[in-house]
Amino acid sequence: MKDRWNEYDRKLDASLRLNTRVLREFGLNRVDSSLRRLTRLIVFELLMGLLAAVMLGSFIADHLGEMRFLAPAVALDLFVIYFIGWSIRQWMALNSLDYGESVVEIQRKLELLRIDRIRMTKWVFLLSPLLWIPLLIVSVEGLLGLDVYAILDTAWLVSNLVFGLAVIALALWVSRRYADRMQGSPLVRSLVNALADRSLNDATGFLGTLSNFEKVA
Amino acid sequence: MTALDPQDRFLTLLEEHDKILYKVASSYCRNPEDRRDLIQEIVVQLWRSFGKFDDSYRFSTWMYRIAINVAISFYRSQSRRTRDTVPVEESILEIADPGAAETSDDIRLLHHFIGQLDELNRALMILYLDGNSYDTIAEILGISTTNVATKISRIKERLRRDFAGGGRMKGNDHGAARHEGPLERI
Repeated sequence: MKDRWNEYDRKLDASLRLNTRVLREFGLNRVDSSLRRLTRLIVFELLMGLLAAVMLGSFIADHLGEMRFLAPAVALDLFVIYFIGWSIRQWMALNSLDYGESVVEIQRKLELLRIDRIRMTKWVFLLSPLLWIPLLIVSVEGLLGLDVYAILDTAWLVSNLVFGLAVIALALWVSRRYADRMQGSPLVRSLVNALADRSLNDATGFLGTLSNFEKVA
Repeated sequence: MTALDPQDRFLTLLEEHDKILYKVASSYCRNPEDRRDLIQEIVVQLWRSFGKFDDSYRFSTWMYRIAINVAISFYRSQSRRTRDTVPVEESILEIADPGAAETSDDIRLLHHFIGQLDELNRALMILYLDGNSYDTIAEILGISTTNVATKISRIKERLRRDFAGGGRMKGNDHGAARHEGPLERI
């Protein structure tokens, strides 16, 4: 087998050529990679979180004495602060990755990072019906100066919340039952696999594989 | 004599070890387009990490680590990744006669064997076939030397068991004779 590999090596020697011209002309720093795309996404998420935190902070300061506006704004702010902390943790973990470390070590770090993102995707989706109502109250008051409590009655808000929860339950059921048929769009695929725990099972499975690989059985 | 700037030094070292790029990429991607994307990913990651490269280590060991790390991540994300646009249209690694390096049945069979292994054992096999010592393989993968020896022995045993008859499957005496050679030497 090694003889054949050496033969392969000789053939590559004769036929392979690194196109350094392309790398020089294009500029190595400008070449994109999946890791860079992920870093950009995390930075974008972090900036959005910071912007939301500033806006919510300002809203809270303006409505300190009005509990009906203060409560939903504080609930949203707590979620945003948690999200900012999570984004910073992701960004730091990604930036501390040194691909020159051993394969087992890097793969474990990457998989833990992935598990963290899968869990966040799932929780954001599951919490969305609970956050939707506070978001509506705060954004309508903050952006348009309208009081949602005066426009919509409590029964409407409660039924909206119940409907949201029902949609989430349905989405969970559909994603678990029909995950195989919903793999077309990358965005849908990512969400469906996260909801159906497929991505999480895959990631934890690979962590198990890494642990077994380290053991001398 | 003026010292080479980091990019020139990097490209010189990369040129000296460009076979590692191709071998690792070919072991994880059979599709030429995916292979091209993977090679690009590896080169970008090598360049981004080049600042941390310690001259007291062998460049090839460091390059294997990064190439295999990127390849495993790429391989694992294949089924779930978005097909983003590839900014570099020209291939970074050119092969004079596409496919020429793999025309031999034996080499194709070899890739088939490697393709049967999971992503971690595949890395182990590439490193072993490329003539790295058990200590170097252990250092690259982050496992003990004893573990490397045990795993290689198991893979050889598995290949011998699973594929020893592979060459004869065609029912062609000539083909069988050609395939028995490398398989017997596993």
